[in-house]
Amino acid sequence: MELNLNGIVIICGTYGSGKTEIAINLAMYSKQSGKDVCLADLDLINPYFRTQEAEALLKKGGVALVLPSERYIQSDLFVLNPTISGLIRNPRELTILDVGGDKPGASVLSVLADAIAGKDVTMLQVINPFRPFTETVEACIDMLNALQESSKLMVTGFIGNANIMDETLAEDIHKGYDFVKQVSDKAGLPIAFITCPLQLFSEINFEVFPCPVMPVKRHLLPPWKK
Amino acid sequence: MGKVLMKGNEAIGEAAIRAGCLNYFAYPITPQSEIAEYLSRRLPESGGVYLQGESEVAVSYMIFGAAGCGERVFTSSSSPGISLMSEGLSYIAGAELPCVFVNIMRGGPGLGGILPSQADYFQATKGGGHGDYHLMVLAPDSVQEAVDMVMESFRLAEKYRNPVMIIGDGLIGQMMEPVAFRDELKSEPLNKDVWASNGMSTRNSKTPNLVKSLFLSPEQLNAHNLKLKAKYEQMAREDLRFETYNMDADYKALIVSFGTMSRVCRTAIDDLKEEGIDVAMLRPQTVFPFPEKAIYDAALKKECKIVLSIEMNMGQMVEDVERSVKGQRPVEWYGKCGGEIPTPEEIQELVKSRL
Repeated sequence: MELNLNGIVIICGTYGSGKTEIAINLAMYSKQSGKDVCLADLDLINPYFRTQEAEALLKKGGVALVLPSERYIQSDLFVLNPTISGLIRNPRELTILDVGGDKPGASVLSVLADAIAGKDVTMLQVINPFRPFTETVEACIDMLNALQESSKLMVTGFIGNANIMDETLAEDIHKGYDFVKQVSDKAGLPIAFITCPLQLFSEINFEVFPCPVMPVKRHLLPPWKK
Repeated sequence: MGKVLMKGNEAIGEAAIRAGCLNYFAYPITPQSEIAEYLSRRLPESGGVYLQGESEVAVSYMIFGAAGCGERVFTSSSSPGISLMSEGLSYIAGAELPCVFVNIMRGGPGLGGILPSQADYFQATKGGGHGDYHLMVLAPDSVQEAVDMVMESFRLAEKYRNPVMIIGDGLIGQMMEPVAFRDELKSEPLNKDVWASNGMSTRNSKTPNLVKSLFLSPEQLNAHNLKLKAKYEQMAREDLRFETYNMDADYKALIVSFGTMSRVCRTAIDDLKEEGIDVAMLRPQTVFPFPEKAIYDAALKKECKIVLSIEMNMGQMVEDVERSVKGQRPVEWYGKCGGEIPTPEEIQELVKSRL
């Protein structure tokens, strides 16, 4: 199945669920499919492994970027780039908003409520069952409710991002799909897509999945792996 | 149990619970706040106590109090917070109380910055607070090793009745890696009835245990310090730890590096090997006690021309490396201290320029 997302796509979820890597990969993937793509970093929570670490790659790939202003980037303060509300009012063909984790991370969206009001937005909750606090279906539903409460927006679907980084096995992708399917059934919301680490892509039979599968290459790496 | 994907800070919190520590008092600071965040959720679920103190100074004395009662207890902070705790640490070391401090280091001095740093090496290994005392100091290079060291640190703290500190640069706290929690690292609290002020009725004793660091008689204070000194020497004999890399080769240079910096060095050593240049590394896992003899022996290998101490600071561990090498080989420091981490390429260039 072809992955084809358009309009405003908000990536939210539990802290450390893989939102930023997904946002970067989705931006590159969609740009390569010929779309006009903009990626905005709305993560006000995480001090390390931020979108700007992939800035050169994204710019080279032709992805428009909205990053926190450089002078504030290491300030350890919640600083939102003021151009973001304008971007939401006049979105690109695909505008990806990468939001910080958990309730505090998603609360940034309520600040942008005026700009978002009346817009048709896709809000996707990222789920990695190998992460703490999202190991059970109930915990994922609790997180869904918390994200909605904090963002004042409704989640419209899920992204299955089952992985244990370099130690992910093909069977983990299948287990991860089964898990996110249960969450999807319980919530009554669709799976937008699942991810698969690039190195496993040849080992997976994608026809068994009734949703798109996006290959993910890690871009936010520690210095000994760059 | 299978592996899970955890941020270092979360994994440190979970490891403490798995080790049987159900008391955590702390005050948030970047880049270690996720330890507090994680435990504020997990400890109440596990029947433990999470308490945010009004300051790091207060936290250090909450730790003193809990440890003095024989409770397993730990705290975490980042550099400026550890400075505030240093007074309490001196009292805790003086009163010989077991407890664990985690320092996820950021740049300094002062408020410094929030990016990775190893600039608290002196603070951790040479004191920080006043008086003749030492912490046992462990330095993990991965999230898994941070987990293992946290779990083991309670046993070590109780064995020596001494605070143990775990120092990780910000990357240890912030990066995510697969981890497993090993049941064999769980330990039972060691004979706390001998020293803890936990109530005479609970241990059916006639003599009270007194927890104190005050010794007004000069003879007693001297004897107390000699007893502490003997403990530090015992740590060096029984619990010194280090890891070596490419040490079997005929290496031309020896790198000494700890924490995540050593992982960058390892990549550089692999790349240099492909170019036909052999370099070895010794990574202290305990930075106090320090592997002096192992470094001396490694430096004196025939082909070894130089010893490089590579650190994310302005040259701190290099002093211990020089002390270890005893002038038998040239010793040089290389590093950075602003949050930037030296790259494998920089280290390769450094090595090549010195051979």
